[in-house]
Amino acid sequence: MDEKTRDDLLQLFRSKFNRAMRFYLESCTRCGTCTDACHVYASTGQTKYIAAYRHELIRRLYKRYFKARGHLWPSLGEARELTDATIEELYEAAYSCTGCRRCMVYCPFGIDTQMLMSIAKLLLIGKGAEPEILTLLADTSIEKGKSMELFKEGFLTGIKRLEAEVVKQWQTEAGEAAIPVDVEGADLLYVALAGAHSIIPAAAVFNAAGEKWTLSFFEAVNFGAFVGDPSKTKLILDRIVNEAKRLKVKEVCVCECGTAYRVMKYLSGSQPFKVTSITEAHARYLKEGRIRLDKTKFPGPITYHDPCQIARNAGVIDEARYIIGHLTDDFREMTTDARYNWCCGGGGGLVALGDETLDFRMKSSRVKVDQVKATGATILSTACENCHTQLSNLNDHYKMEVDVQFLSSMVARALVPA
Amino acid sequence: MADAITVTKVFDLKGLACPMPVVKVSKGIKEVQVGEVIEAHTTDPGALTDFPAWANTSGNKIVKTDQDGDVIKFYIERVV
Repeated sequence: MDEKTRDDLLQLFRSKFNRAMRFYLESCTRCGTCTDACHVYASTGQTKYIAAYRHELIRRLYKRYFKARGHLWPSLGEARELTDATIEELYEAAYSCTGCRRCMVYCPFGIDTQMLMSIAKLLLIGKGAEPEILTLLADTSIEKGKSMELFKEGFLTGIKRLEAEVVKQWQTEAGEAAIPVDVEGADLLYVALAGAHSIIPAAAVFNAAGEKWTLSFFEAVNFGAFVGDPSKTKLILDRIVNEAKRLKVKEVCVCECGTAYRVMKYLSGSQPFKVTSITEAHARYLKEGRIRLDKTKFPGPITYHDPCQIARNAGVIDEARYIIGHLTDDFREMTTDARYNWCCGGGGGLVALGDETLDFRMKSSRVKVDQVKATGATILSTACENCHTQLSNLNDHYKMEVDVQFLSSMVARALVPA
Repeated sequence: MADAITVTKVFDLKGLACPMPVVKVSKGIKEVQVGEVIEAHTTDPGALTDFPAWANTSGNKIVKTDQDGDVIKFYIERVV
C-alpha cells in the first residue's frame, strides 16, 4: 500500500472518532465474556470470530497510528501496520459480523462491535475493497431519490397491480384507494420494501384499522448502512425524511426491515414526526380495538425470532408478543430474555450479498437452528426481511420443517372483518 | 419490438424479492459483451423503479420493458 493511500485511509479512521468510539477503542480488558456471545463463534468455534478478536484488528491500528507509543516505537507492543493484508483481514472481520450487538449486551463495558466494525467498513470503502454490489444498491436508492419524477410512473404502475390484490383479499370502503400514495395530510407514512409481500398485507391492516395512511415512494432498506457509508446512509434516509415533511405526516411507520427501522429511528434526528415499526403499529391497533384477529387461522405452536435491529437494538420486544397473543394460545419463546436471542446470521448486508455468502451464513447460524428446533414450533414468525430470508434458507438447509412467516402477514391473514 | 432485439442471455428472476433481481441482473450483465442484450423476467413490482434507477447508476441501458400478466420483462443492453 502506498503512503498516500494509507494517509487517506487514516483520515477516514480519524473521522469516526467521537467519545463513544474512543471509549470502545480504549476499554477492552480481554476478559473473554464476549467469547460465546457471537453466533458465528458459537457455531464454528473459530477464534477469529470472537468479538474481542475483531476489535483487536481495529484497536492495533489505532495503537499504531493514533497513540504516541505506536508512533515512537511501532515495533513494540501490539501496534499493527495498515497494509493490504490488513485490509483483507478487515474485510473478513466486517463481513462476518452481522452487527447484531449480542456481544455488546454481554460486555461489561458495553463495547459496541458494530461501531468498531464501522471503522473497518469505512476503510474498505476508502480502499475500494467493499462489496461492490452493496455500493451499487446504495447508489441505485440514491438515484431514485434524485430523480423521483423519472421513476414515479413505474412506481404507480406497480402499485396499481397490487391494489387489485388488496381489494380481492380484503374489501376496502367504497371509493377509497386500497393503497393511497402521495396523500398530503395523511397521519401515517408507510415505508415499505419493494415486494408485494411488504405492501399488500400492510395495506389490508391499515385499511381495516381505519388508518389515514399513505405509501412512501421510497423503499425502506438502507444499503448505505449495510456497506457502512455514512454519507450514503444519510442521502438514502433523507429521501424519506423529506417526503414525510412534504406530506406533513405525524408518523413514519417502517415495514419489517430491521436496519431500515433502526436507521430511521436513531439517525433521522429530531423531526416533526414519530418513527414506529409496523409491529408497534399493529400492536397499537389491537390495543385500541381497531382490528381483531382470528385465533383459529394458525393452528400449531408459534415461535418468534426477534430481529436484532428491532428488538435488542431498538427495544421492540413486548409488542410482537402482544400480537402473537392474539394469534395463538400456544406461543413458544426461544429464550428467557429476548435481548439475548441469537441473531439469525443474515444481517449486516450478508443476505443482500446473496449466494456468495450462503455457505457461510448456513455454517455460522447453527445455534439459531438449534434454538428454533428446541421450541417444537411449527410456525416461525419474524418481523424483518433479512431475517425472513435467512431463516427460510436455514429452514431449507437444515430441514427445520417450520413455516417461516412474516408477523405482519399473519396479522393480515387473521383479520376479522369489521 | 421485442422480436427485433437479439437477446444473448435470459435471466429468470421470478419470485425473487428486492434486492435480488437487481443483484442478479447486475452480475448477469457482466456475462455478456458490451453491446449485447440480456432479458430479465421478474415478478417484483419494485423492479419497475429499481431497474431504471440501477441502469442510470450502472451506465447500462434498458431498451424495452414488457409486461405479461404478473411477469415484467426487461431488455437491457450492456453499455459499460
